[in-house]
Amino acid sequence: MNIEALVTTVISYTIPIFVIALILYFIRVLKGPTLPDRVLAIDALTFDLVVFLAALGIYFKSPILPITGVVLALWAYALDIFIAKYLERKEMGE
Amino acid sequence: MYDYLLVIIGSVLLVIGAVCDVLGALGMNRFPNFFVRLHAATVGVIGGAFYPLIGTALIAFGSEFLGTYRWFMGGCSLVSAFLILILAPAGSHALARAAHKSKTAIVQPKVVDHLEEDGGVK
Repeated sequence: MNIEALVTTVISYTIPIFVIALILYFIRVLKGPTLPDRVLAIDALTFDLVVFLAALGIYFKSPILPITGVVLALWAYALDIFIAKYLERKEMGE
Repeated sequence: MYDYLLVIIGSVLLVIGAVCDVLGALGMNRFPNFFVRLHAATVGVIGGAFYPLIGTALIAFGSEFLGTYRWFMGGCSLVSAFLILILAPAGSHALARAAHKSKTAIVQPKVVDHLEEDGGVK
């Protein structure tokens, strides 16, 4: 079995698993009673999305997708810090 | 030969990461309060994002059909894997500290809260 067929089958089987995980995280974002729950779920969801982008980048042979994943990971961290600053001192550090 | 080996190892890591991700997501939904959900978030993020990214990097390095883009995409996945390894714990730690200090996240099934006994977060 050549490598391309192997890679496309593996990725096409793991994509639904990642989608299930994304949906479950999104349920926690909707259901989360307190603000930190939601932010934690969005954080986990975003890092999960980064992997999703990297896998799709290989699947569709387009190199631009994993680059957006790098920026997305940085943004997820920035969201955490903004919310943490807001919760502690009711200011966003601007 | 080496390409085949890389792709095999990469896809094994990817599948393990996908399973860890679903377990983390399940834990995120079933755990009682915010502080217990931090464990699920760690499993979901480090197990579900760091390892699959190493896996996709190995797959990208091993897959000839991508041409010159494979080094580009492999490097990109390695960089984001390294970033996630550094940023995820720091972000969730800051969030947990703020949640505890501002008392927005209530410790529901509470056995003991040592942080509160020590006079909270200064």
